Amino acid sequence: MNDGVLIEARGIEKRYPNGVLGLKRASLSVKAGEVVVIVGPSGSGKSTLLRTFNGLEAITGGEIVVDGHVLHQRSADLRSLRQRVGMVFQQFNLFPHLTVLENLSLAPIKVLKLTAAAAEERARALLKKVGLSEKHDCYPAQLSGGQQQRVAIARALAMQPAVILFDEPTSALDPEMVGEVLEVMKQLAVEGMTMCVVTHEMGFARAVADRVIFMDAGEILCEDAPEAFFGAPKHERLQTFLRQVL
Amino acid sequence: MPTPLSRWLWHGFAVALLAALGIGLYVASKRIDYTWRWERIPQYLISTEGEDQTAPFDGFVVVSDDGKLSMTALRGSETHQFTGFSAIVAGNGDLVFEGDVIAKTDAIGPGPLLVGLWLTLKISALSLVFALLLGLVVGLGRVSKNPAARDLSAFYVEVIRGTPLLVQIFIVYFFIGTVLQLSAFAAGVVALAVFTGAYVAEIVRAGIEAVPKGQTEAAQSVGLSGFQIMRYVILPQATRRVLPPLAGQSINLIKDSSLVSVMALTDLTKAGREVVSSTFSPFEVWFVVALMYLLLTGVLSVAVRRLEKSYAVQG
Repeated sequence: MNDGVLIEARGIEKRYPNGVLGLKRASLSVKAGEVVVIVGPSGSGKSTLLRTFNGLEAITGGEIVVDGHVLHQRSADLRSLRQRVGMVFQQFNLFPHLTVLENLSLAPIKVLKLTAAAAEERARALLKKVGLSEKHDCYPAQLSGGQQQRVAIARALAMQPAVILFDEPTSALDPEMVGEVLEVMKQLAVEGMTMCVVTHEMGFARAVADRVIFMDAGEILCEDAPEAFFGAPKHERLQTFLRQVL
Repeated sequence: MPTPLSRWLWHGFAVALLAALGIGLYVASKRIDYTWRWERIPQYLISTEGEDQTAPFDGFVVVSDDGKLSMTALRGSETHQFTGFSAIVAGNGDLVFEGDVIAKTDAIGPGPLLVGLWLTLKISALSLVFALLLGLVVGLGRVSKNPAARDLSAFYVEVIRGTPLLVQIFIVYFFIGTVLQLSAFAAGVVALAVFTGAYVAEIVRAGIEAVPKGQTEAAQSVGLSGFQIMRYVILPQATRRVLPPLAGQSINLIKDSSLVSVMALTDLTKAGREVVSSTFSPFEVWFVVALMYLLLTGVLSVAVRRLEKSYAVQG
């Protein structure tokens, strides 16, 4: 890890089989402990960019180095990389057939080879952290959306990743549940977790981000500290976008 | 929603229709001058006819005053004592020859129809186990990343689903059975398992594909391997989805097993045919046989419904 850079994306390109370019020579670097928020209109490639960071989306050009693992067109060993990169999804994607506790301890037991007792201890501590101590024996379907997303964050944390990717974590939530999830994310940011967040929550970006990235049509158009990003947007396309969402 | 009263009226209507159908059937059988002889059926379910005790050699029957039955040989001095009989058929001093019936034992045992039912149950259960294993392997092959596995499993499924089961049974019995020296029972199990396995494979494939893609992505994101994802995340969820179609397929298997009666196997259907030829009461026998199949499939669907309920908690 040179000078604390955790994710280094250089000129990455994503061309779909039908020839459409999803990402155009996107470059981005994320340092350890940094919170980077990616915003942009729908279909601008935000989620695609995020998903390339743990190999869920294969790239067709360029190179990504994540925590020392080099990802390029034909990367083979994604497993060891994915143990270091947590992911939180828009649709939570909890395992519906497992209890909350089992959701959190499955990977630590099977991948990190923790004992069941150690994994359970870790899971309980994380559930306490996200404020769901008493829900350990519930199945996901018995929880509200906000609670499910907090469990999903705890599940990512259970692998003790170097960075967590958040793919529109509050977009599928009812408005009254957005706050509780953002609160957990803020707490993580305060504790120094490295985070990449794709979101439409401009308030969160303004308050928590170290840097905000604006994407449109598969390109990173500009990046700035939140004050400058929202206060004095330089790019014309960004100005239009901010007028529409704020 | 109908009101409770009208709901019961509709149920009553259905029962009345079925009753009318039954009466119609009865009247129709009167018209063709058919004599119902239901009293002949029970003996083919429960047999009271005991086994015969036969003469082990040529000789004379000796019945002593206290009811003991024995034989002395025609040539030589050999004797034989009979035990455990309930009725003596031969008379004292009769000259009998080897294999003649001397006495009968009185034993209640399963009649031919129950014996047939037992064989149907055995062959269905065994075929089902193999069909599930085969179907799981082939179903995984269908969704595999490996092109060879995909090709082979697709080929198997297409060939089996595209040919009649009866033809497959003939091929297994006459060709494969002859080459590999399979017994009729083994051939029956193979044919049924291979046939049902193809359908199970398609059910398994559909079940796996019905699990949302996000589940795989979430499992990949925590670093699980492909095998672990299948074993701990996808298959447990697919199992719940495939249970109802799998139950249907198992019921089909029980019914399809009636086709093995074309081989030298006395399953329930073959037993029915034999009973018909000795009673000349085809209507009664086939109704009873149908009822016995219904019993098997009914028990199975109740069991599966129980299993589904136990899964329902997880929503």
